[in-house]
Amino acid sequence: MSSVAGSSEDTFPKLLLRNAKKFADRPAMREKDLGIWQTWTWADVLDEVRCLSIGLSGLGIKKGDKVAIVGDNRPRLYWTMCALQALGAIPLPVYQDSVAKEMGFVLKHAGVSAAVVENQEQVDKMLEIGESFKGIKTIIYDDSRGLSKYKVKGLHSFESVQDTGRDALKKSGAEADWLAGIEKGSGSDTAIFLYTSGTTGEPKGVVMTMESMIWVAQAANGFDNLTEKETVVAYLPMAWVGDHVFSYAQSYEAGYCVCCPESPETVVADRREMGTTYLFAPPRVYENIITQTMVSMEDASDLKKKMFHYFLDVAKETGEKILDGESVSLKDQLLYKLGEFMVYGPLKNRYGFSNVRVGYTAGEAIGPEIFKFYRSLGINLKQLYGQTEAGVYITNQPDAEIYADTVGKPLDGIEVKIADSGEVMFRSPGVFKEYYKNAKATKETKTKDGWVHSGDAGLFDDRGHLKIIDRAKDVGKLNDGTMFPPKYIENKLKFFPNIKEVVAFGDKRDFVTCFINIDLVAVGSWAERNNVSYASYQELAANPDVYKMIEENVDAVNLELAGEELVAGAQIKRFLILHKELDPDDGEITRTAKVRRSTINERYDVLIKALFDEEISNQHIKTEMTFEDGRKGIVEGDVEIRSMKLHTPSSHVQGHMREAAE
Amino acid sequence: MDILHSIFAAPFIDMYSAPDFLLQVLWEGFVSGTLYALLALGFVLIFKASGVFNFAQGIMVVFAALTLVGLHSLGMPAYVALALTIGVMGLLALGVERFIMRKLVNQPDIILFMATIGLTYFLIGLGEFVFGGEPQKMIASELGLPSGSIDFTVGRGVVILEYADIAAAVVAALLVFSLGFFFSKTRIGRALRAVADDHQAALSVGISLNQIWAIVWFASGIVALATGIMWGAKSDVSFALQIIALKALPVLVLGGFTSIPGAIVGGLIIGFGEKIFEIYWGGLMGGGVESWFAYVIALIFLLFRPQGLFGEKIIDRI
Amino acid sequence: MSNEIMPGDVLLELDDVSLSFGGVKAIRNVGFDIKKGEVRAIIGPNGAGKTSMLNVINGFCHPQEGTITYKGVKRHDMKPYVAATQGIARTFQNVALFRGMSTLDNIMAGRTLKMHKNFFWQLFYYGPARAEEMEHREKVEQVIDFLEIAHLRRTPVGQLPYGLQKRVELARALAMEPELLLLDEPMAGMNLEEKEDMSRFILEVNGEFGTTIALIEHDMGVVMDLSDRVVVLNYGAKLADGTPAEVSSNQDVIDAYLGVAH
Repeated sequence: MSSVAGSSEDTFPKLLLRNAKKFADRPAMREKDLGIWQTWTWADVLDEVRCLSIGLSGLGIKKGDKVAIVGDNRPRLYWTMCALQALGAIPLPVYQDSVAKEMGFVLKHAGVSAAVVENQEQVDKMLEIGESFKGIKTIIYDDSRGLSKYKVKGLHSFESVQDTGRDALKKSGAEADWLAGIEKGSGSDTAIFLYTSGTTGEPKGVVMTMESMIWVAQAANGFDNLTEKETVVAYLPMAWVGDHVFSYAQSYEAGYCVCCPESPETVVADRREMGTTYLFAPPRVYENIITQTMVSMEDASDLKKKMFHYFLDVAKETGEKILDGESVSLKDQLLYKLGEFMVYGPLKNRYGFSNVRVGYTAGEAIGPEIFKFYRSLGINLKQLYGQTEAGVYITNQPDAEIYADTVGKPLDGIEVKIADSGEVMFRSPGVFKEYYKNAKATKETKTKDGWVHSGDAGLFDDRGHLKIIDRAKDVGKLNDGTMFPPKYIENKLKFFPNIKEVVAFGDKRDFVTCFINIDLVAVGSWAERNNVSYASYQELAANPDVYKMIEENVDAVNLELAGEELVAGAQIKRFLILHKELDPDDGEITRTAKVRRSTINERYDVLIKALFDEEISNQHIKTEMTFEDGRKGIVEGDVEIRSMKLHTPSSHVQGHMREAAE
Repeated sequence: MDILHSIFAAPFIDMYSAPDFLLQVLWEGFVSGTLYALLALGFVLIFKASGVFNFAQGIMVVFAALTLVGLHSLGMPAYVALALTIGVMGLLALGVERFIMRKLVNQPDIILFMATIGLTYFLIGLGEFVFGGEPQKMIASELGLPSGSIDFTVGRGVVILEYADIAAAVVAALLVFSLGFFFSKTRIGRALRAVADDHQAALSVGISLNQIWAIVWFASGIVALATGIMWGAKSDVSFALQIIALKALPVLVLGGFTSIPGAIVGGLIIGFGEKIFEIYWGGLMGGGVESWFAYVIALIFLLFRPQGLFGEKIIDRI
Repeated sequence: MSNEIMPGDVLLELDDVSLSFGGVKAIRNVGFDIKKGEVRAIIGPNGAGKTSMLNVINGFCHPQEGTITYKGVKRHDMKPYVAATQGIARTFQNVALFRGMSTLDNIMAGRTLKMHKNFFWQLFYYGPARAEEMEHREKVEQVIDFLEIAHLRRTPVGQLPYGLQKRVELARALAMEPELLLLDEPMAGMNLEEKEDMSRFILEVNGEFGTTIALIEHDMGVVMDLSDRVVVLNYGAKLADGTPAEVSSNQDVIDAYLGVAH
C-alpha cells in the first residue's frame, strides 16, 4: 500500500485537480432532475467547485471555519465539501432529518459560522437555531422554492454564490491564488467533522484528517479493485461516515461516478436506471426488499408463486457455490441458468442489482437467511465491520471467503487485536485524529500508541475471521451468572420478517424479557390478506392473532438459544408488543436505527417493571410521542404481556432447532 | 369405444399423418381470425370511448365496401374512390356524433344501443337506395391487391397461401399497430383513454367529448373500410356480410370489450378454433360447426371469465 | 376579452344564482365574488350546496337563474370546455382520475388544451407533434417535481393510496396552468401528515404562481389557516361572507354548525 503522505495528491482538492485532467471527460456526478439524468464530468465538477469555492471565500469563509452541510444527497452539497476543503475550511455534514434542537447541539459544539443547506425546510431550521446561537452568519440554499419572500440577512442562493465566484475569477490572478491555496494544503489538514449519532449521551465530533480519509479510500478501492468505471448511487445520509467515504472519498480517489437520486422515494428506480456496480446499504434496505418481494408474490398467480419458490430453492442449493467458484453439476448449472432467466434476473433488475459487482452490508448485523438469499441470486454481497472512528473499514469479507456469521478479515494495513476484556481494538493510518473539543473521550477511546477501542466484544475464529458478539459494555449477566448478550438475542428475533425492532432486558435480573415492535409492512400485508382491519399501529399490535404469530417467533428463538451452551439460560421468559413504534423523533432510536437503551428505560419504566413482575399480564401505559410535523401527542393503552414456556437446555436440540426455525 | 376413438384419437392421427392439410387449415383459420379481429376492433374503439355497443359496426363494413365499389363503378380511378370513401366515412362519423351521440349524451346505454340499431337500418336503406341490393365484386386488383398464390410442398402435399390473404393479414397488422401507437403516444390518443376512464374528469381538463366521439367513429369507419375490402376480396360485397359481422360478438366476449389486444387474440382464437373444429371434429356433429362454434366458446367464457381474457379488472381501493 | 385582471380585482362574480334539480333547490339566490390571487373557502354543513356551487362555476351544472361574470365577461352559464379553455381547473370530491392510465399520462392529459398541433400531425406523431409532446412533458415534470411525486410517474393511478391520488389529481389540474383552481374537499379522507402536505402545496401554489383558489373543506382548522375569505352556505343559501375571523364569530354560522334549533 502506498503511503498517502508521500504522494502528491494528499488532499481532496488536489485529487479533484488530478481527476479533472486524468478523467476530464468521464462522468463524475449525475443527478436526475425533471425526469432527466444530468451529467457532470470531472472537468465540469472542477469548474463548479472552483466558482463556488471562490464565491464562498468572497462571503468571508476562510481556513479553519466550520461549515454545516444539511440536506439529501445533492451534487451541489458534495461539491460544497470540496469547495470548503480548497479554502482550508472544514465541512460538517449533519443528519438532514434531525430536528432543530438536535442539529443545534452539533452546530454549537462545532462552532459553525455558515451552513449550506438543501431547501426551505433546512433554512427554517437554521433560522430557528440562529435564534439562540448567533454563530451562523451565512446560510446558502440549493433549492429556492418557497424562499423568494424570505428577507434575511446572510441568506444566499447557491447560484448567486457561484456567480460571485465566476465574476471574481475574471480578475487576473484569482484562479492562481485559489490553486496556490490548494497547493498549500497538506495531508495532515482536517478533512471533515463527522458527528457520531451516539447510542449513549450527546454526539461526538470525529475529526478526520485528509491523509487518513484518503488512506481509507485507497485501501477500500484496492481491496475490491474499484476503478473509475464504477457507478454508485448516493442515497444514505451524507452525515454518515459510510456515505462520506463511499460517495466522496472513494469516488475522488478512484475517479468513479456518483449518482444522486431524484428523491428518496425513487432510489430503487434510479439505481436500476444507472446500473449501480458498487453498493453499500444497511441491512434494513435488504430486508425491506425481501419483504416487498414476498408480499407482492403473495398476490401473484399460483403458477408464478410455484415457479418463484422452486427457483429460489434451486438458488439456495447452488447459487452460492457458483458465486464462490465451486464446481457444480451440469444439471444444477443449467437449472440455475434457467432460474436466472425466469426469476433471478428479473428480480435483480427490478431492484437495480443487475450490474452490482460488489455489495456491502454494514451498520447492523444482517440475518443469515437474508444474506444468503442475495448471495444465492448471484449478487456478491459481503459484510464488513466498521466504525466512524476507523473511517468505516476495519474488516471486510474477501471474495470467496464469505461466512454469514463473521465480518471478515482486517484490510491490509489495519491491525486488529482482541483485548483481555474481550474488546476488539484496531490501529491503522486511517483512524480518526480526535473527538473535537472532547479530550477526555479521545483519551478513553484512543491509546497513546494509536490503538482504538471499538467498544465491541468479539473474537477471531480459526479461519482468522472476526466475529462480533455485542457491544462490550452491553453484554450483561443474569442474576444466576448466565451471560446475557442483548443484541445477540434481539438480532435473532429481528430476523423474522414480522418483527422490526426488539429491546431485550436481563442484566442483573432473574430472567430475560423483551419489547417487540412489529413490522407494519409485513404484518399489515398479513392483515390485508386475512381481512383483519385496523386503524393504527397500536390496534394491530394488540391483535391477539398478531400476538400469537410473534409468540411462535419468540418460541423458535428460545429453542435456538436452548441449543447454545453459553446462552441457554438466557431464553426469553416474558415479552410484550409495544403500543407504538420506536421513533428517532422521540429519541428512542438513533437516526441509524440503533436502540437508545437509557431513553427506553426511562420512558417505559412501567412496562419494564411489569415484564419482571410475573403477577401482571396487562399493563396500562401513557407515552408522549412526536408526530412527523414536530407536534407532540399522547398515546395510551393497555399492553398485554405474554409468558413463555422455556425449553430445556440441550445441545441435542440443535438438529430440531434448524427445522423449527425454517 | 368408437366414439372415444373418433373424439380423442382419430383427429390427432389425421393431423399427424397429413401435416400439409393441417397447415392449410391453420392458415385459413388465421386468415378468418384476422378478419374477425378487425371487426371486433371497430367495436372496441367505440365501446371504449363512449360505452356504446355499436350494433351498426357490421353494416358499416358493408356500407364502406359498397361505397368504394359504387364510386369506382361511376368511373373513378380506384385510389380516388378509396380516398373519397374515407371522406364519406368521415362524414358519417361527424353525422353520428352530431345527430346521435350529442343528442343522446347522458341517456342510459340501452337507448344509445337502440340508436345504433336505428343507424343500422338507416344505412341498409341508404345503401340499397344508392347502390342497389345486388352483390358486388370488390375491386381488389384495381386497388393493387395481388392475386395468385404461393404454393409450397409439405410432406407429400401442397399448402397454398393466397396473396390476397397475405395482404389482408399484413394490412390488418399495420392497422392494429398504428392504432395502438396513436392511442398510446399522442395527445388525442391520451384524450381518448381519458374519456374512456372518466367523462367528468375529461371534461374538466378541457377534453371535448364531441371531438373524441367523432374521432373514434371515424377510426372505426376506417377499420370497417379495411375489413370490407379484405372480406370483399374473398367473397362478394353484399348485405349478407353483416351477419358474419355478428361473429365479432363472441370475439369480444373472449377478448374483453375494452381491449385492443383482446380483440386481436380473441379473433385469432375464434378463427383457428372454428376451422380446426369444423375440419377434424365437425363430422361427428354432422358438419356446420363453423356457424355456432364461436358462440359456444363465448358462452363458456361468460360462465368462467366474464371480463374476458384482457378485460379490465378494475381494482378499487376504498 | 376584457382588460387584464390585476391581483385584488374581482376574477369571478356570481350574482343571484339559483340552481335546482327537479323540485329540489340546491342553491338559492347566492351571490359572492372571488378576487384574483386569493384563497377563497366555501364552507357549510353537508347538503349546503357547496359542490353544486363549484359545478356551476366550472359549467357542469347550469343555473336556472342568475349570472356568472368571469374575467369581466357576463354569461348565464359556463360550459365545461369553455371554463377549461378560460383557465378554470378543478379537482373532485371523490377523486376523478383516469384510472387506467399512469400518473404521468394523467398529468399529461391536463395539458390537452395547451397542445395545438392538428390531427394530421397527431396521426403520425411526427415532427411538430412530437416536439410539442416533449415541450409539454417538461412542464409536466415541473409539476411532478413541485408536488413531489417523481416516484409515482409510471404507477397506474388506480394502485395509489387515496392521499396520493388526490395529489395526482391536483397535479393534473396544475398542469393546466389554471388562473382559477377549484378544489373540492382536497383533504377529505387524509391523515394528519397528508393534510399538512396538501395545505403546504395549496399555499405554495397560491404563493408561487399567484393562482386564485376556491376550495371546499370540512376541516375548519384547515380553512382558517389557508383562506383569505370564507363564504358560508347553509341549505343552499348564503349565510355569511368574510374573513375567517369574522365568519367564525358570526352567530348564524355558529348556530348552523352547532345545530341550534331555529
